[in-house]
Amino acid sequence: MTTGPLNDPASGPTTVSATGLTLRYGGTRALDAVSLELTRGVTGLLGPNGAGKTSLLRVLATAVPPDSGAFTVLGHDPSTTKGRLAARRTLGYLPQTPGFHPDFTAFAFVDYVAILKELTDRAARHREVRRVLEAVDLEDVRGKRIKRLSGGMRQRVALAAALVGDPEFLVLDEPTVGLDPEQRMRFRELVAEAGEGRTVLLSTHQTEDVAMLCHRVVVLTHGRVRFDGTPAELTARAAGRVWVSAQRDPGALAGWRTGTGTFRNIGEPPTGADLLEPTLEDGYLLALDGESTEVTA
Amino acid sequence: MTWHVAEEDLRAYAQGELAAPMLWSADTHLTACAECRARLAAVGDPVALDAGWERLDAELDAPRPGLLEGLLLRLGVAGHTARLLTATPVLRRSWLLAVAFVLGLTVLAVYLVDEPALFLALAPLLPLAGVALSYGPGLDPTYEIAVVAPMHGFRLLMVRTVAVLTAGLVLNGLATLALPEYGLLALTWLLPALALTATGLALMPRLGPVLAPVLVGGAWLTLLALAKRHTHGTLVPFTTAGQSAAAALAVLAALLLFQARDRFDARPTGGFADGGAA
Repeated sequence: MTTGPLNDPASGPTTVSATGLTLRYGGTRALDAVSLELTRGVTGLLGPNGAGKTSLLRVLATAVPPDSGAFTVLGHDPSTTKGRLAARRTLGYLPQTPGFHPDFTAFAFVDYVAILKELTDRAARHREVRRVLEAVDLEDVRGKRIKRLSGGMRQRVALAAALVGDPEFLVLDEPTVGLDPEQRMRFRELVAEAGEGRTVLLSTHQTEDVAMLCHRVVVLTHGRVRFDGTPAELTARAAGRVWVSAQRDPGALAGWRTGTGTFRNIGEPPTGADLLEPTLEDGYLLALDGESTEVTA
Repeated sequence: MTWHVAEEDLRAYAQGELAAPMLWSADTHLTACAECRARLAAVGDPVALDAGWERLDAELDAPRPGLLEGLLLRLGVAGHTARLLTATPVLRRSWLLAVAFVLGLTVLAVYLVDEPALFLALAPLLPLAGVALSYGPGLDPTYEIAVVAPMHGFRLLMVRTVAVLTAGLVLNGLATLALPEYGLLALTWLLPALALTATGLALMPRLGPVLAPVLVGGAWLTLLALAKRHTHGTLVPFTTAGQSAAAALAVLAALLLFQARDRFDARPTGGFADGGAA
């Protein structure tokens, strides 16, 4: 998809590997024995709200240690002090709600994050800050205060902060939320670019993001992995299970009236049903398997 | 332009040997002064000159340091440390003004009722609160980014603690100057302030950034209330015995804090702003 033939991601070496990650808070299990292996390229993490996407990203970004289970990031084990530091040095993280010091300019903010990432040499750091701000197309507004920037621009500032220091492992938590279609497209370009040669884990509830960006997709519900494969495989799950009917089909797992007045149904079709070409969204809805009623992303 | 970069500074600049903060002054000046740029071209060799231009170019983007950052730089604080400090929420002018205002009111109250304990009870709480508020998800908007950054969380905490403590102690000290008639007694807030701050920090990895300082602050006020009940003169914490105990507690808590330093890194000290897992 977005990755070139030179580095076929599916066959690349494992860069991030997790087994049995479990995280509880309060009485609930945010993560329930999650195992997965990531390679270079962009992997999409899909799931409804509350599925544990953010929890998984926080664990892999070393923001929260898991209650049980283990993982490595580029060979480093974050459960040790040394390994955690080494893992953090390879990491770029864009949290779900990236906070800003509103009085900082875009440049000052990225500069601040660069300092947290141990870039202490002033001249080298400023060069790096300029590089990432150029990479996200913000060089013209670098002197503007963050509170004066639009939502899309702020999101790009946060991406620049994640990219500073050229991390090998990028963790992006719903970066396309709140962006208009044009901004989203621009943002996808940036993420695709970042995914060349890097391991990117992108959580989203937009199946479009996954269809356009990811070589691999993991579906998470109730803290468990429900699907792990390529987007084409996820789409293929819905083959023969999407059909059109004139009336609402009570046997369908989900069905809705489309703009043309007919109903689009997914589930087990009745015999002789008028089958449709499935989309990634259909495959995703089937992977959720009616567990959640709030699957309309 | 009334000031120009001195000949020898220009030569050092061209060779990349000019040290900060003179380097920054020269950078800034050269962007604006064609005359000095021409002189620089004359003194420098071309390779070093290119490096100089590149630095100048980067300098054009550099955020101009604010009031606090500029002051810190002038005091000799390294540029990156100054930037870390500038991002400390409680060092913002609004916070410092609020603290100064509270202290002013308290000093006024001491004058009115001739009761120095009012000031002595409050003064140790301010640095504790300041330190508690400068590291944690509540007030630091970039907390989640800072947690996963390779910079040691404890180091960031200490950098900010030293700054906030200094600011707090200076403000307290100024307030003390307004109470000369109480002599040395007016300074007896200092050791309890250090003890409370160190204890609050040492308990933070276990109890979180809210509960730890609240408990410590509560214990302090309870202690004072009990002392008030049983004594009529100087309250126990402000006597020689009380001061020695405070000093011992400060040292002990500082040791415990140092021992727990890695815990600030392994696990965020108290959830995230959205209430997520911690």
